[in-house]
Amino acid sequence: MEFLNLKECIIENHGTVHRKLINEFLMKQGLRAEESIEYTFALLNEDKVVATGSLDGKVIKCVAVDENYQGMGITNKVISNLLNEAHRRGRQHLFVYTKPKNLSIFSDLGFYKIAEVSQEVVLLENQPRGIDGFIEEISSARRDGSIISAIVVNCNPFTLGHQYLIEKAAKESDFLHIFVVSEDKSDFPTEVRLKLVKEGTKHLENVIVHQTKNYLISSATFPSYFMKKYDDTVKTHALLDIQIFAKYFVPALGINRRYVGEEPFCQLTSKYNSTMKTLLPNHGVEVIEVPRRKGDREVISASRVRKLLREGKLINVKQLVPINTYQFLISEEGQRIIEKMEKALALIS
Amino acid sequence: MNVKTIAMAGTLESSDVSIVVEPSRNEGITLELNSLVEKQYGEQIKCVVLETLEQLKVKKAIVKIHDKGALDCVIIARLQTAVLRAAGVETFNWEEEK
Repeated sequence: MEFLNLKECIIENHGTVHRKLINEFLMKQGLRAEESIEYTFALLNEDKVVATGSLDGKVIKCVAVDENYQGMGITNKVISNLLNEAHRRGRQHLFVYTKPKNLSIFSDLGFYKIAEVSQEVVLLENQPRGIDGFIEEISSARRDGSIISAIVVNCNPFTLGHQYLIEKAAKESDFLHIFVVSEDKSDFPTEVRLKLVKEGTKHLENVIVHQTKNYLISSATFPSYFMKKYDDTVKTHALLDIQIFAKYFVPALGINRRYVGEEPFCQLTSKYNSTMKTLLPNHGVEVIEVPRRKGDREVISASRVRKLLREGKLINVKQLVPINTYQFLISEEGQRIIEKMEKALALIS
Repeated sequence: MNVKTIAMAGTLESSDVSIVVEPSRNEGITLELNSLVEKQYGEQIKCVVLETLEQLKVKKAIVKIHDKGALDCVIIARLQTAVLRAAGVETFNWEEEK
């Protein structure tokens, strides 16, 4: 190692010569470069890529070392660089997404295992008490009863459909834990989504609204949800996410039922739902799929609401959302968000 | 010195150490040590770390250490850097340093 003179290479934009070399290298290692990657570090010997690793938000991914260069501590060099860069960008809580055979390498580098899909993928974090600490926090909301339910929602934004699903679940349960996805990658920011759900479920006595932090449907546990594309990795991601739910959330809160809205349109969510139905019963959790509530003609969905908003048809949205969501939409802050969505549409078309 | 934000210094390469210094709610120093040579030098590393923090007048902090067999002088240098970054100090009087 000491005698190798490797050139360091940092890439923060796409389309360079090195990016192409790195992508080819990753392909050989059975990995795929993702478009959401924002920072890549590579080590080159002459013009040959020897090792690389990337940063995608708070997730370290696409880490690979050429097999002829393994066992020289090169992984440490790559990970050190990524850790320092992440800290420079103000991110301390980091995740690693890797193959199970690399588990011991990352354990040596100070990462702790959260969950594993055997043969496929393992998720680690750099905080020794990360998920345990979070679970401890939410378990103060544990309630006893014979039917304890959970529901995980993004609510982008909160519609009458969500409200109907939550009301139905609350009525059929002794207690309902509502988890609002914390990942801030939707049109409506996390605090807004959380606030609208809290307001819109205020009238229910046996519910509590939680955040999911990085642990349910986040870019760490379920990256494909935010990439909005459907391929074979979706099943792996779904398995990982559901496993975390079963391993940590279910025992901590005594959950024995999970409610989901039926998903007729989105292939990705429907795959997630079907995976849940096969996996969760093994953990003593019954999965209840609730058919969508119909408006006057079409079913109510958040994606339909967003489409109407982008088209400037706020008036048609009024009958699809609870009054508090509508009030937010016509507020100054709401108008700003809608404006941004319209602009994004104009860019695409 | 007051630890105001989270800061990091060092690497995970062999013979180096990676140190993260964080603000703490509680008084005193909370030390998390993870070292390749913990069995042999764990106590020695802790001594060096606490001594260095005392010299820097750090009374309240969480210090996370991932050691890959760094020598004492390396540990001291990395810790000083991490503390200064965490305290937001941008100028450092090297002459005063022993």
